[in-house]
Amino acid sequence: MLRTRSSQAVAVALAGLLLAGCASVDDRSRAAGDVAVRLLTAVADRDGESACSLLAPDTAAEVADTGDMPCAQAVLDEQLPGPGTVTGADVYGQWAQVRLTDDTVFLAAFPGGWRVVAAGCTPRPNRPYDCVLQGS
Amino acid sequence: MKRFLRENSLGLVFGLLFLVVLVGQAVAGHADFNRMQLSEGLPEVSLGRYLTSASFGTDVAENWQSEYLQFFLYTFLTVWLLQKGSPESKSLDEAGLESDRDQKVGAFATDDSPPWARARGWRLHLFSNSLGIVMGLIFVGSWAAQSVAGVAAYNEEQLGDLQDPVSWAQYVREPDFWNRTLQNWQSELLAVASIAILAIYLRQRGSPQSKPVGAAHTATGIEG
Repeated sequence: MLRTRSSQAVAVALAGLLLAGCASVDDRSRAAGDVAVRLLTAVADRDGESACSLLAPDTAAEVADTGDMPCAQAVLDEQLPGPGTVTGADVYGQWAQVRLTDDTVFLAAFPGGWRVVAAGCTPRPNRPYDCVLQGS
Repeated sequence: MKRFLRENSLGLVFGLLFLVVLVGQAVAGHADFNRMQLSEGLPEVSLGRYLTSASFGTDVAENWQSEYLQFFLYTFLTVWLLQKGSPESKSLDEAGLESDRDQKVGAFATDDSPPWARARGWRLHLFSNSLGIVMGLIFVGSWAAQSVAGVAAYNEEQLGDLQDPVSWAQYVREPDFWNRTLQNWQSELLAVASIAILAIYLRQRGSPQSKPVGAAHTATGIEG
């Protein structure tokens, strides 16, 4: 009897962990998608401050370096597509890829949540995506 | 208590060493993971986050699967394969499953034989192969775990390199999976071949893995 109860408890715990894992991945995918859309929306709305606050530090620094002006101004000159809608997302560990109707965005996990590492990305056969905006 | 420790010291010491080394691997792996995070301009992760990562999972599982493959193959193949002069081999005239009398099964079981050694049919067959079967199952389970954790770890690297992730079916055809697998297999097979052959000519006094120091190099199936 004791063994049966223990087995049931273990099965319930494992099922709970599995469900929690799936829910966690879904939540993280949704959160990554939100950040990607917010970035592209901010650029479309000419809100450079908000856009740069959603970039990973290295990416924000690269945007400023390349444009030779503050990130909030430089990011508005980048030829990023409009926000569109999220068509899919993959999350693996500290990284996420969000696919939108007109863009693919790569994000990394930071203490404050997902931050965009690269955006405006187009695929190249057997090579990394070519991105309008990315860290060094 | 003291007697228990002495009579079980082999299993206890190796179990304890396993835990100590696993903790060491976790600490070193965590430091290495964070070094790579910083080099990519990303924040460090906690030890807890690292221990539940695919990176740690695949590093552990890929070594487990190869160790259990080694013991699975060794357990099964030494039934039939021989090595003249080696204490790792049976005597040269004992290749095969051996007789029921030699194996103390069925009608030849003794009073202290395990119950399934006295049984007939599937129970006897299962118990007669239980060591190899369990080793084989743990190998298959660990290898499957390596592939599942491996695809997640591989995809984390793919995304970090701004490349698309792959499915599990694609990953098990990727060079990364087979490189991780085969580099472990080759080392395990080398170790088995080494102990089987070196033990012909070399001795370790008192060890059951060695022949008695004074045994002839040609003596086979004798343990010291």
